[in-house]
Amino acid sequence: MSRAGRRRRLARTLLGVAVFAAALLAWEVAAEGSFQVPTASEVADRAWQDWPSAEFRSDVTESLKRLAAGFVLGAGLGVAAGLLMGSSHALRRALDPLVELTRATPPIALVPALVVLLDYGDSMQIAVIAFGVCFPVLVNTVDGIRAVSPEARDTASMLQVGRVERIFRINLPAALPSIFAGLRIAVSVGLVMVVISEFAGTGDGLGRYIVEKQGQVDVTGVWAGILFLGLLGLVLNRLFLLVERRALAWHHGATGERLS
Amino acid sequence: MSASPDGHVLQVSGLGKRYGASGPAALAGVNFEVPEGELLAIVGPSGCGKSTLLRLLCGLTAPTEGTVLLDGRPVTRPPREIAIVFQDYSRSLFPWLTVVRNVMFPLRRSGLSRSGKRAHAEAVLREMGLEGKADSYPWQLSGGMQQRVAIARAMVSHPEVLLLDEPFASVDALTRAELQDVLLQVHATREGRPATVVHVTHDIDEATYLADRVLVFGTAPGRVVGEVDVELERPRTQPETRSAPRFLEVRNEIQALISARERLPSTPSAGR
Repeated sequence: MSRAGRRRRLARTLLGVAVFAAALLAWEVAAEGSFQVPTASEVADRAWQDWPSAEFRSDVTESLKRLAAGFVLGAGLGVAAGLLMGSSHALRRALDPLVELTRATPPIALVPALVVLLDYGDSMQIAVIAFGVCFPVLVNTVDGIRAVSPEARDTASMLQVGRVERIFRINLPAALPSIFAGLRIAVSVGLVMVVISEFAGTGDGLGRYIVEKQGQVDVTGVWAGILFLGLLGLVLNRLFLLVERRALAWHHGATGERLS
Repeated sequence: MSASPDGHVLQVSGLGKRYGASGPAALAGVNFEVPEGELLAIVGPSGCGKSTLLRLLCGLTAPTEGTVLLDGRPVTRPPREIAIVFQDYSRSLFPWLTVVRNVMFPLRRSGLSRSGKRAHAEAVLREMGLEGKADSYPWQLSGGMQQRVAIARAMVSHPEVLLLDEPFASVDALTRAELQDVLLQVHATREGRPATVVHVTHDIDEATYLADRVLVFGTAPGRVVGEVDVELERPRTQPETRSAPRFLEVRNEIQALISARERLPSTPSAGR
């Protein structure tokens, strides 16, 4: 990279850092003397204190385990159903109304019903997460397959690609960029669902941590929990981008698109 | 390879295609044969059903009238003996596969070992002048090179018939001339005897330069309006062949056939 380019990049980084610092400062000043909102430094201080405790760490691991289970289940279902619906007109027509209605249902609304069905606990929580994760993945998988070019479809037909083979050799790789876009949305949705399911559930997790602090009228604790969830979201997103960049190297090259 | 007793690889008789029950005919009453080893060009204005014809020849679309016979057997679905190259290479190559994997794709059930397939694909790539590009992705190559990859993929399984649908229409003039020579080479060198090629184009000069015989199509409905035997010597080379007196005769003859039809009042037909 040229020197001018490096300087421009440094300037851009510095600008980002400056805006971030200014926002923190504004928070600090605005919250000063307030009983409802703690200052940024109080929150950071509390987060620093709580972080090493065994209880808190187990909250984080439990939340992550739930997210992983729900994500794998939901994304797996979403990709599988999406591949089938995208690859068969008949299946698509048959399932479309059902999917449209189900996906229009806010997953949060399912929590009370799932509590009755599965009781409080991991299975209810994982089901809620999986439900939220499934649909963005499903819809993106179907869209990705619909975007396969007629030339690619014809080429596959000429090369004797059969129905099942077409799903895995043509439709899946062709839809992969779109599937990844769905998965990225699903990571965020999944985190939301983790917190919601833990608000409703009993036991552990970051969501429960927040509710517990609220019960103790520990406002700073509530904000510390929020901060942790924000950081967790950031880390998960970064990790996801790393995976995506490897899996879709061919696509980002072909479209000239660059990931942030 | 077993052409029908009279040596025709492809026989088209009474072929017609209508899209929708009451739609206009895209193609009607088309009859012709392609002898083994011939390079046949099909020329016509847009909307003459050239692309529809290719789709019917390779079984991607079913005709509403008539039949296509390949080696004497009716074509009802894409036969493995036919390969096709489309105009839009960027959409027909698989972008998630490297160049060599694209070319290996037709060999996936060939029974060759993985390294055998790769060696074979690399040999075809070399013939196409794509040495050293095996592990690139298609988007890393120029348009002309991508179309070479598409031709390599079509030829790797030694098809009996190669169909090309406006294959060089999306590249610049210099690249087009290069690719025309690549095609001539493909036609000439396959296993010691010429491959059978059906080449659809709207470029009269290209048809004249490449073909043994040119079928001229007219519109509304798409049908054969004339036929010209090129009778230019092979091997052909760009400057010599194009400056031969016979080249001008042929291209003028084709031009005349097209112009004669164009002047007739005709109802617009439904494109491809």
